[in-house]
Amino acid sequence: MARELVAIIKHDCPVCVELLPALDAAAQDGAPLRIVSQSGGGDTAALWERLRLVSPVEIDEELALSALYDPDAVPALLLLDGGEERGRVEGLARDRIADLAAEAGFALHLDGLPAHRPGCASRTRDPLVAATLAARAARADGRLRSRTLRLGAHEDPFEALHERGLTDGLPVVPPTPERVVALLEGTRRHPQDVVGIVPPYGGTATVEKVAVNAVMAGCLPEHLPFVLAAVEAACEERFTMHGLLATTHPAGPLIVASGPLTERAGLNARGNCLGQGNRANLAIGRSLQLVVRNIGGGRPQIEDRSAHGNPGKLGACFAELQEGSPWEPLSVDRGFGAGETTVTLWAAEAPRLIVDQIARDPEGLCASLALALQSVAHPKQLFIWDALVVGPEHGRILREAGWDRARTRAELMRLTTSRIGDMLRGAGGSPEGLDPAVFGGNPDGMIPKFAGPDRIGLVHAGGSAGLFSMVYGMWASGEIGSTPVTRSVEPWM
Amino acid sequence: MSCGLHDVVSFEGLGRPAVLVASSVFRDVAAAEAQNLGQPAIRRVFVPHPVQDRTDDEMRAMAVAVADEVLAALRA
Amino acid sequence: MDVAANGLELLDPTAERESGDRPLAAPIDGAAGLRIALLDIRKPRGDVFLDELERLLNARGYVVERTAKPTFTRPAPADLRREIAERCDALVEALAD
Repeated sequence: MARELVAIIKHDCPVCVELLPALDAAAQDGAPLRIVSQSGGGDTAALWERLRLVSPVEIDEELALSALYDPDAVPALLLLDGGEERGRVEGLARDRIADLAAEAGFALHLDGLPAHRPGCASRTRDPLVAATLAARAARADGRLRSRTLRLGAHEDPFEALHERGLTDGLPVVPPTPERVVALLEGTRRHPQDVVGIVPPYGGTATVEKVAVNAVMAGCLPEHLPFVLAAVEAACEERFTMHGLLATTHPAGPLIVASGPLTERAGLNARGNCLGQGNRANLAIGRSLQLVVRNIGGGRPQIEDRSAHGNPGKLGACFAELQEGSPWEPLSVDRGFGAGETTVTLWAAEAPRLIVDQIARDPEGLCASLALALQSVAHPKQLFIWDALVVGPEHGRILREAGWDRARTRAELMRLTTSRIGDMLRGAGGSPEGLDPAVFGGNPDGMIPKFAGPDRIGLVHAGGSAGLFSMVYGMWASGEIGSTPVTRSVEPWM
Repeated sequence: MSCGLHDVVSFEGLGRPAVLVASSVFRDVAAAEAQNLGQPAIRRVFVPHPVQDRTDDEMRAMAVAVADEVLAALRA
Repeated sequence: MDVAANGLELLDPTAERESGDRPLAAPIDGAAGLRIALLDIRKPRGDVFLDELERLLNARGYVVERTAKPTFTRPAPADLRREIAERCDALVEALAD
């Protein structure tokens, strides 16, 4: 029965200082007692000299022993039996400490000490220290497996990350193990769970790898489930992320979040939701782009052949505004439950403005919306997918008329159906358009811009003042184009 | 020595082969720092330690001794 | 528990397909007319070393440009680096002791 008492102390804890002479005396008498200091060698030696202690003391290098037994407070007296803990006292509880020593087989003379004194916080509770210990533990138990990038002793971490090609042109938050472990608090999923395989080079996005990029993007833990769901969606075969990246077209992934959890996570569905200022929108959107770059390996002008790109390729994410919406949640439109929170990804260009400050009925409003839809890419080109972001002042017109998505879509489809002859190459003086060899035989027939009403995405979002909506043109190239994908956020929480 | 390594990494980044000449006492620490800077193959040539108390003739002899190695590093 | 001695440790955000190391610049070839910058870090005795190295390089047909850092205690200023990189084909920095 190898019983011993381990006493963990700090040099700057007055309660430890009160207790030490008694511990020292017992140790000198040969008691099975180990004194362990959380303080550095210098501070501990100075204290030993000041108190004229003679017993040996262990310096808890790297706080390994302290992390193992994890006391809240010092002095912490631990009764160990063959290394297994059988009892402990934290702080000065005189009689209980004496009892513990007795169980270890020796007498501790604590007369003259107060009966009760709370101790001081263990060094392992110092937030910075705790963060480092948590990171070390995560590495040790396999939650963190990423290779370590060690920077030069004098390197500026922000410049270093730029120089190593790991940024999107703006500085990123250096992804220390501490920050990544803290961000992983945002999910219950295991860091080694696979989220998706990222094109173009097929890098594996684990929860951990996504978290590293999400730290860089500036995310908070509550943003992480949205990022994970977006990465999952982007990696789905039918989203065709590889093609979207490689195309000369300017589009990039657009993330639209819908559901009750969006507001709690801080996403913006209101004023300036497509612009700057909201951390959640910007960091979530940016995370996906950094994942594509760093895990997928897709870089502008190399794998990414976009002729112009668009500002949304830095990151594009906003939330649907359910309050005042004419429609049921986008999640439901996309086949999910009413109470679910989802992200829907579209392969989108930059949004363009639709002004209508005159229309007061839904037919009139849809006429303006349809003109914008018709001119996506080119008025005489047929199109596959599109999305409208209808602002609240426009939305009210539809809501008051009771137009659900189906009714709105039907009207928009009707208004974007044109006479074939007007859509042919050369019509209206423009060489673009439908190929007469294919369509020329029926110039008075009618042809819709969109393959079906479901191809017109409808989202309600924006500030409460302004008779504006926005239209997102999309990337499409027939069979090998991108299909919108919706994934649920809850499984990633 | 560390600043010199940073300079060499910067020049390489600007597309120019660059070599640091340093005292042999820095051999190991230069290797470690090169690793940290993400460029373990940093071009470097070492001269015998110490350097400070050499005569002018000894300094010139050092240059003669390493000139080939310096050029070889830039050509590799 | 301190990190400073060795430089900050970060987690690699990539899929780690490559070694992660930065490649070296393309080496020089030939001699005639190639310009080599000799950058003096300004520690004592370095100038004697560099004078001799200059003589040896000239003898082998290289054009040598002599220049110096303001101090050895900091990396060379960005402007200086850029100027040298524009004018010269290679660089020798000496003598760190």
